[in-house]
Amino acid sequence: MILNVENVTKAFSSRGKEKIANDHLSFTINEGEVFGLLGQNGAGKTTLVNQILGLLTPDHGEILLLGKSVLKAPAHARSICSVQPQSQVPLGSLTPKQAVTLMGKMRAGKGFNPKRVDELFEALDMTEWANVEGVKLSGGAQRLTAFCMAVVVPGQLVILDEPTNDVDPVRRRYLWQVVRSLADQGTAVILVTHNVLEAEKAVDRLAIISHGKFLAQGTPREVKGSVSNKVRIELSLVNEIEEVSVPDWAHSLRRNGSRLLFSMDPSRISPTIDWITDQVDGGLVVDYSISPTTIEDAYIALNSKKTEGVS
Amino acid sequence: MNGLSAYKYVFQIQFFRNAGFLIFMTLIQILISIGIVIGFTYMIPSPDTDTILFLTTGAPTIILIFSGLVILPQQIGSAKSDGYLNFMRTWPVNRSVILGADTILGLLITIPGIVVSTIVAHLMFNPGYDLSWTVVPALLMIALTSIGVGYGFSYLLSPVASLSVSQIVVFFSLMFSPVNYPMDRLPEWLQALHEFLPIYSMAEVMRASLAASTFDASLGNYINLLIWCILGYGGAIFILNKR
Ligand SMILES: Nc1ncnc2c1ncn2[C@@H]1O[C@H](COP(=O)(O)OP(=O)(O)OP(=O)(O)O)[C@@H](O)[C@H]1O
Ligand SMILES: [Mg+2]
Repeated sequence: MILNVENVTKAFSSRGKEKIANDHLSFTINEGEVFGLLGQNGAGKTTLVNQILGLLTPDHGEILLLGKSVLKAPAHARSICSVQPQSQVPLGSLTPKQAVTLMGKMRAGKGFNPKRVDELFEALDMTEWANVEGVKLSGGAQRLTAFCMAVVVPGQLVILDEPTNDVDPVRRRYLWQVVRSLADQGTAVILVTHNVLEAEKAVDRLAIISHGKFLAQGTPREVKGSVSNKVRIELSLVNEIEEVSVPDWAHSLRRNGSRLLFSMDPSRISPTIDWITDQVDGGLVVDYSISPTTIEDAYIALNSKKTEGVS
Repeated sequence: MNGLSAYKYVFQIQFFRNAGFLIFMTLIQILISIGIVIGFTYMIPSPDTDTILFLTTGAPTIILIFSGLVILPQQIGSAKSDGYLNFMRTWPVNRSVILGADTILGLLITIPGIVVSTIVAHLMFNPGYDLSWTVVPALLMIALTSIGVGYGFSYLLSPVASLSVSQIVVFFSLMFSPVNYPMDRLPEWLQALHEFLPIYSMAEVMRASLAASTFDASLGNYINLLIWCILGYGGAIFILNKR
């Protein structure tokens, strides 16, 4: 086990009002594992991460990195963790190549292999910016540079706070590949992101946090299972007035103009497809899609449950 | 990794990140120190050599104060607000390494100004410089005190508060401090204050090493500097390690 977070609670007080940013959070991360941290703005993700880095002290609870308390051995924690902060790293006149190389040397010492920098830049398709001064880089290029600074010599734990902000869809994919290869080499990764759909593919386990509390935690499958494991069907009908008789295994049927939505148990997929094919042949349905519940569905369901609970 | 190579890499990052700014500031420091040397002689109708010597040996102190208590706090203030300070705090190096690298940078931008203005003053006025070997340790000590105190308050205070403090410090040290004129011209209560603040001691120590045959610094001046220096760096390290 690389990271062990036990019962961490952190409150901020501003103008006399207490704001609980982390409320008794516990989780662990193992070697080679990518752990996603999802949650709405202000949910407490960055606060949690800053405590793991030793930038903030928990009010209660304990954080252990490789069995050692972050509080008692902050220098040990810093040698194990590297981070890409949520805010942009102001590079000033540093070029990406200088910044990433120097971070690499700072972590690996003389044994640092400068080829690693070129490999990273190639993997992220950012070679063209390697020697451009930081102040002249686009937002995405700056973000990618900060990502490279965090992963060039990964310690045992890499923390990425919104690494894909500002990054284009193509390079986002490259970035996920780099994250995956880090994990394959045994590095543990904490991934804070709002990009729920992409996170589903990138993470091994995840936690959904809201108002400082974990709403769910586990593998993507487990988290989805905690909400429902239904399959979603969406049909486009030829027009808005046509009536269709749906099979009796359809749940939560909804009609929205010419769109018809329902969900059902995954075991009924093949009879459903037969049924849809009949409808298409009969000219009633023009288009359709079948999709499994995504983490996004679970995320929204969990978060809306929470809001209902609150109001 | 050993401390020395950690220092090298941190220094390089800080240097390259601020390269443009540092060069610009070095030039500004040269101009300011020449400006002080020449400008102040206009304020006094027909200055004698003693007065000129007083002014020209005060100029280096002023720009050391300027580096440590104005330029540095400004940089730290912006590093604080844009999150760079917190990012540095996650680096796998001892925090004093970061302070050490920034201190040397602060020193490097100041030295050319001191050297150039001293040469200019010598050529223009020949006021009676008499360099003592103590000039190097004195310069270091004054620079470390000024930078240390600058560190201390800019890490301790919010960026806005430390900006106001540094504005006040500049004004106060230019107008109300015995750097460019003798202490006895000040009212008694200001004299008492200056026995305690580091500005007077900085000026005395600097003068004693630039014109050793004319001026003397007391042991008290050195002790005063040492205490402020330790307070400043101690405070800064405390804040850097605090969570
Ligand atoms: N230094 C601070 N002082 C006071 N309150 C704070 C401080 N830092 C964070 N908070 C509060 O703690 C809560 C959690 O903030 P945090 O930055 O952890 O959220 P987050 O999950 O990272 O959000 P986002 O997705 O927007 O980055 C918020 O309500 C925030 O206002
Ligand atoms: Mg955040």
